[in-house]
Amino acid sequence: MLIAYLIVGAVLFALGLIGFVTRRNLIIMFLCTEMMFQGIIVNLVAFGRFPLVGAPDLHGQVFALFLLVVAASEAALGLALVVLLYRNSGTLDANFWKQLRDH
Amino acid sequence: MPPIVAIALLFVGALGLYLLMPGARLSIRVVGGAVVLAAIAGLLAFSRMWIPDLGYLIPFATLAFVGLVGGIAMITVKQPVYSALFFVLVVICVTGLLVLSDAQFLAMGLLAIYAGAILVTYVFVIMLAQQGGTAAYDHTARTPLAGVIAGFLLLGALTSAILSGPVPDSAIPELPVEARGTVQNMGIELLTTYVVGIQLSGILLLSAMVGAIAIARRKAASNSDGLILEASD
Repeated sequence: MLIAYLIVGAVLFALGLIGFVTRRNLIIMFLCTEMMFQGIIVNLVAFGRFPLVGAPDLHGQVFALFLLVVAASEAALGLALVVLLYRNSGTLDANFWKQLRDH
Repeated sequence: MPPIVAIALLFVGALGLYLLMPGARLSIRVVGGAVVLAAIAGLLAFSRMWIPDLGYLIPFATLAFVGLVGGIAMITVKQPVYSALFFVLVVICVTGLLVLSDAQFLAMGLLAIYAGAILVTYVFVIMLAQQGGTAAYDHTARTPLAGVIAGFLLLGALTSAILSGPVPDSAIPELPVEARGTVQNMGIELLTTYVVGIQLSGILLLSAMVGAIAIARRKAASNSDGLILEASD
């Protein structure tokens, strides 16, 4: 039980990582971080429901709920930064910003 | 499942994902997509080992397969709007997995917050920023080989660690009434044990909202809009 959920969560996390590294669109990169969060949420809930020792409890779900709060804050701030960068440069290309200075 | 089989399947999947990356020719991408689908199906075929109950296995494997295919499509499709829509598919499948693990309230929250609120914001920003169709930077990948290798190494390490760890009982553990993820139980848990965390979450969300407004309004200070006060840098 637990192992199947853990593997699905791990694959989701790795897919998010690959997308974050390989995509050039800033918005898609932020979407990929959200997919990493999905993998972690699957893991946390599975750990709470199918514990190795002891009875199932709600702590994993509460942890996942707090993770949702952090993800929502991160999405708001990240999108605000993306909009600001877009207004400054007119492009969403991550390569445009790789030198970390003004052109 | 021996870890070496899992690593082999993941290697095949990584190879297919590399061929599927945007920038390659269409025929190569079709081959890569087929290879990735086969690798995911092979990986999920082994979940029979850990889930003996067929009535549980079929919805689990279906949701996991659709979710992972949605994830693959999300990171390889060229149009950003399609990426966002495939992410909605991923969220819906994860929601189904949460319902399968008796986390009903969290599943509802995930669906409402992610598929409802966050994704609408993403689609809105995409439509705002890319009104002229797909841009040139959506048609090529940045360092696809290095990215796929990094993901393969991470996933291989994680999978071999999971598979060589302690083997849990394959039977579904009995769920006590107070551990069901219903609104009542979650509410009791959140407002007694985790009441400080709830307060801190509120503070965090408020500060994130104020920060987002402050960041997004920064360049608008030069406008002659009377509503905007001093937004100096």
